[in-house]
Amino acid sequence: MTDHELSRPDSSMGLEQEQSRLLRKALQRSGVRHGDLWLRYFSIGGTVGEYEVDAYIQSLFSLPAGQRDLLAHAANELIDELPPLPRAPYLQDLA
Amino acid sequence: MAQQLPLDELSTVIARIQGLLLTEEKVNSAVRLLAQAAKESVPGTIGAGVSLMDARGRRTSSGYTDRIVAEADATQYERGEGPCLTAWATEKPVLLQDIRVETRWPDWRRAVAGLPVRSVVSAPLIAGKETIGALKLYAALPNTYDESSTTLLQLFAAPAATLLSHIQASEAPHKMTEGLQASLYTRDLVNRACGVLMERMGLTHEAALQWLIRHARDENTALQDVSARVLAGTPASGS
Repeated sequence: MTDHELSRPDSSMGLEQEQSRLLRKALQRSGVRHGDLWLRYFSIGGTVGEYEVDAYIQSLFSLPAGQRDLLAHAANELIDELPPLPRAPYLQDLA
Repeated sequence: MAQQLPLDELSTVIARIQGLLLTEEKVNSAVRLLAQAAKESVPGTIGAGVSLMDARGRRTSSGYTDRIVAEADATQYERGEGPCLTAWATEKPVLLQDIRVETRWPDWRRAVAGLPVRSVVSAPLIAGKETIGALKLYAALPNTYDESSTTLLQLFAAPAATLLSHIQASEAPHKMTEGLQASLYTRDLVNRACGVLMERMGLTHEAALQWLIRHARDENTALQDVSARVLAGTPASGS
């Protein structure tokens, strides 16, 4: 067994950990709630239940790669729909 | 695009499973029992009633201990004014010490002049942020009620409102329908698009979903928009 073969399961697990950690961070920063995320994920074809999705977000449960990407996409759709931060007006905008 | 799917029955099924739906019979008997308990809690009371109202102040169900209450109450909804409607609208308890001295609600007072009702106290039923109705006591003598009966009725109204708001869930399946329909509609849309791609490009379901995600990412659009285009037969880029 080569080093490469040995490291594969580890690195894919590490990637899943990283993917769920960064999803968790994105949700925290954007304030998107887990329930809303699951609903969007379900609405675009997600097949995993809310409880399992919640556990995945906490990095306590493993999901298939396709479902992870679908969940990420659902999160990004919700984040893109958030109102942008208010911008500072120029004097001309106020006059 | 037809967004109307026959999902009303499905949402009703879900509401049934979750126990949200109670029969009208159960609501009416709960309301009647509540009115009875309210009547016995304040001496001098000749009748008590509970009315549940929808968001526009229309009465949806009611319970009474005595016919007099039914008549005095019905008059309020006919005239569109009265102590209970005021309690409901202002979300504050209303005390009417003597109907012959009172100056508010002239129409209603004229209409109930023939009934043996002299004083009334009414408290709104507030569940969460919503006022769902009013609880009221009627007495044949003036000055039967004071501030302490108002306080007592309010203590009574708080838990009653919480209970009744759960019973009054007949609107819940309708509210649920909207969200459920939208959710199941897009889910169906995405899955049909996957089916089309599987046939058109010889993909597995998994690969078809990945294809959709990739295109949604590249074009910075929602998955459902990409799916709708696939279904509309628009030749997608990169296929």
